[in-house]
Amino acid sequence: MSLDSYRLDREPAYYPSADEIALYEAAYQMRLPVMLKGPTGCGKTRFVEHMAWKLGKPLITVACHEDMTASDFVGRYLLGPDGTYWQDGPLTRAVREGGICYLDEIVEARQDTTVIIHALTDDRRILPLEKKGELVHAHPDFQLVISYNPGYQSVLKDLKESTKQRFCALDFDYPAAPIEAGIVASEAGLNRQDAERLIKIAGKSRNLRGKGLDEGASTRMLIHAGRLMAAGLPIAEACQFALITPITDDPEIRSTLRAAVDACL
Amino acid sequence: MPVFDRTLPEDLSPALRRAFVGPDRDAFVQARDRLNGAGYGAGIGRAFTSAAPRVAAHAGPDEAIALAGDASRLAIKARPRVAAAYLDLCPVIALKLDDATRFRQWRGVIGRVLAQSPAAAGVLVAGGQTLLDRLGLDPFAAWVETGLRLSGGENRLALAYFRLETPESRRILARHAGDVTFPALESGLRAFYTALWGHAPALREAGTETAQGPVRRTTFSNGLILMPSAFAGFRGQEAQLYRAAIAHVGAHHAHGGARFPVGQLKPMQIAVISLIEDARVETLAMRDMPGLLRLWAPFHTARPDGLATAQALFAGLARGLIDPDFCPAHGWVRKGVEMFQAAAPRLEDPAISREIGNILGNDLGQIRVQFDPLSYVVQPAYRDDNLGLWDLPDDPESAAAPQSFDIDTADARQSELTDAPQDQKHEQTSPDQIEPVRLMAADPEAGRKLISLPEYDYHAGIERDDWVQVTAHDPVSGAPGFWEALRARHDTTITRLQTVIAASQAGTRRRLKRQAEGEALDLDATLDAAIAVRANRQPDPNVYARIQPPARSIAVHLILDISQSTADSAGPGLSILDMERDAAGILAGTMCGLGDDLAMSAFSSCGRHDVRVIPVKAFGAPLTEATGAALAGLRPAYSTRIGAALRFAADSLEQVSRHRRFVLLVTDGAPSDIDVSDPEYLVADARRAVQRMRARGIDALCVSLGQDEGQRQTEIFGRKSCLRISDVATLPGKLSAFYLRMTR
Repeated sequence: MSLDSYRLDREPAYYPSADEIALYEAAYQMRLPVMLKGPTGCGKTRFVEHMAWKLGKPLITVACHEDMTASDFVGRYLLGPDGTYWQDGPLTRAVREGGICYLDEIVEARQDTTVIIHALTDDRRILPLEKKGELVHAHPDFQLVISYNPGYQSVLKDLKESTKQRFCALDFDYPAAPIEAGIVASEAGLNRQDAERLIKIAGKSRNLRGKGLDEGASTRMLIHAGRLMAAGLPIAEACQFALITPITDDPEIRSTLRAAVDACL
Repeated sequence: MPVFDRTLPEDLSPALRRAFVGPDRDAFVQARDRLNGAGYGAGIGRAFTSAAPRVAAHAGPDEAIALAGDASRLAIKARPRVAAAYLDLCPVIALKLDDATRFRQWRGVIGRVLAQSPAAAGVLVAGGQTLLDRLGLDPFAAWVETGLRLSGGENRLALAYFRLETPESRRILARHAGDVTFPALESGLRAFYTALWGHAPALREAGTETAQGPVRRTTFSNGLILMPSAFAGFRGQEAQLYRAAIAHVGAHHAHGGARFPVGQLKPMQIAVISLIEDARVETLAMRDMPGLLRLWAPFHTARPDGLATAQALFAGLARGLIDPDFCPAHGWVRKGVEMFQAAAPRLEDPAISREIGNILGNDLGQIRVQFDPLSYVVQPAYRDDNLGLWDLPDDPESAAAPQSFDIDTADARQSELTDAPQDQKHEQTSPDQIEPVRLMAADPEAGRKLISLPEYDYHAGIERDDWVQVTAHDPVSGAPGFWEALRARHDTTITRLQTVIAASQAGTRRRLKRQAEGEALDLDATLDAAIAVRANRQPDPNVYARIQPPARSIAVHLILDISQSTADSAGPGLSILDMERDAAGILAGTMCGLGDDLAMSAFSSCGRHDVRVIPVKAFGAPLTEATGAALAGLRPAYSTRIGAALRFAADSLEQVSRHRRFVLLVTDGAPSDIDVSDPEYLVADARRAVQRMRARGIDALCVSLGQDEGQRQTEIFGRKSCLRISDVATLPGKLSAFYLRMTR
């Protein structure tokens, strides 16, 4: 089964903040696993997509969640009309056929499931399928990328030291204001001036990170707000709809954010 | 023969005859005669005769006649003129309340004050109508009850409270009146400042008075921002006004320069320069955040054609400098606006404030405008008092300096401030960077201020916000080797318990068969499904098996009473506190074995201002040698304010995401504290705390140690949620069994 459907046919727009593209290319060249750290909505997934397109490799993305088990990664036996048959999981497919496997928010998965990637991420590059009794050797093109957000994870949800130490890591954060304004303007189809106002507002919300908010408004949220503005909503309403209401349920912080948005306009 | 006028019932005035009919008329005459004959002076009798029919019209004849007794008590305990004032006030109150029961309630309030503090009754009678108008009857009664409780029978304190001389009484009054005050807005203001300016402010309530009277404006100095408890006259706009004020201080911090030297400047020049500086920093802030104009502008209410007094001219100039649509009539204001606009290219330079201010100040002197620095209050209300802008000479009487002293005796770290002049950089330091230069005259035992909690007054039927102050004290390390010693003392029990725990843990992971989703095929289900497929029947799709993760999800905050009474003996060579320690140690071991999240704190109290909490173990932290040392280091002291401890623990549990959350109190007796004489008060408060936390989904359990007598725990927690252990030998077994039963 080919991974062609996982290939990106158009270039995902990505605006580099520093030398992350060169670093990633070096890691891929040596097939080293990469870990992307950063707050939600700052462009980690977009970066991986961009790199997969740039390298011409298929990209299999798995969004991890807390009920995720090892079978969800590697595969399981299913029951068909002629008896049971083995179905490869997304990780096994990428390993067999040579793709980039991106495990998004890996810490959300149960800790005992993350150890299955250990043999894949050192020089063995193998994936043991315990239930099937098979040892899959990784395709030369295979690479594992994981992401996690160190901000809102509690101490209970951290990567094991033995997992962490297998990866090269890139730190992501919200881009610098002029770059972020450019991203919001082009992604949302907004004029530069309005995009800059949104960036200023985002800055105010990010000041509250850890002081009432788990995270400030992400670039993704700003793009949403920008798109709403492009659709004709006034900026204050777009911010209320796309930034303030989603980001917190605390009435006091909401009211503070509204006042801060108001101060910027 | 008495000298007073004695009229027979049939000789009464028509109004009195209308008001009092039949037996009431005789009762009235008797009451009046008694009052007249008591020697309080003729005025009292006349006041009663005048008040009674009017009171009878709105509150009934019984209430009217009862006034004679009230007046008599007031005349004896306070003074006859207080009684006269009371009788003059009663018709007004009766008309206002227009209901016998409510009027009786009001009389009852005055009566209670009289019984406890006669002088305060006089104050209350004098200002009674205004207060009642502002508050309404029930909040008025609650405010008075609070005052009586607060003063604890001390006349001086009661007088200060009812005269509204203390910030606390004004704050409580404002709260009962439904005004929005600083404490209600504090956290929002802190967040607003942080959002706008990127760092958290050191923000406090200006709790003390200055020599000039109550604090009416914000002040900032040495990195600390002090805001008034309330802004009078801005009802409904409080949130906006406080926000405007904190944004203004933020503008000073972000765009201000070094402090201006005072030199030979006159007060009027200082005021004008400050005003220009205010406008300068605001204009710079508005360049970045134009919406701030909408926040500030509504408070600029100066009219273009105001009087040419200094206050009006200043207010006009302040408005002219930030409101582009304002067209002032006065030439001086116009000149100020023009000079400010001309200096626009140099706006970043604070020197322009001084230049423009000097010229305008001189002009003002020449047109002979009178300026009284003592009565001058900066306008509009959101602006600060300007003291933070000036390099003032050391003046022990100055307004800013003493305030930074009494605000924070509870938080020694943050109040270690210098009052020496500092440069502007210091203004921007964050709270934890404030440089300790001189130690405060604070209590050496003072801990870190943690939280203010409400308390319930069963008598008044109200919950008073921010009534109890909780401070955190670092644990003192006791003898090492606590866990080994514990194991040596209770080896058998601990081993037995561990077996029980292991068994209960084994039961928590379950293999679930015939599931729609799972990690592996369930062989039986798969075979059934395969047979069904071959027999051309619809197969059951539930063919998977999975392991259910442990379902136990419990968090417990264990709070230990370490009041002085826990020093009592519980057996040979063993105090109650020793028993508590062992109980806590065994429980902690059990809970951590079960994977429950556990926090442990010890508490004691020394009045409502000083409820001390020693955090022994935090949620999520492991059970270590240090935890044992902290347990071993607990020493008995002070009293037991159970309600506050329960609320504190419940608040901490709010942050923990577990399905079942408990507060488990280990105590030795009934609640008590030095500032509470009524034994029912703290019991009722603790019961209320338990009810409130149960309503929030947090359960409360209690283990009481020691002998039976005097214990009130079952009243507070309910019989099922209490466990009494009087014999140390039975402690470990009973305790853990109790815990396992409650958390199953």
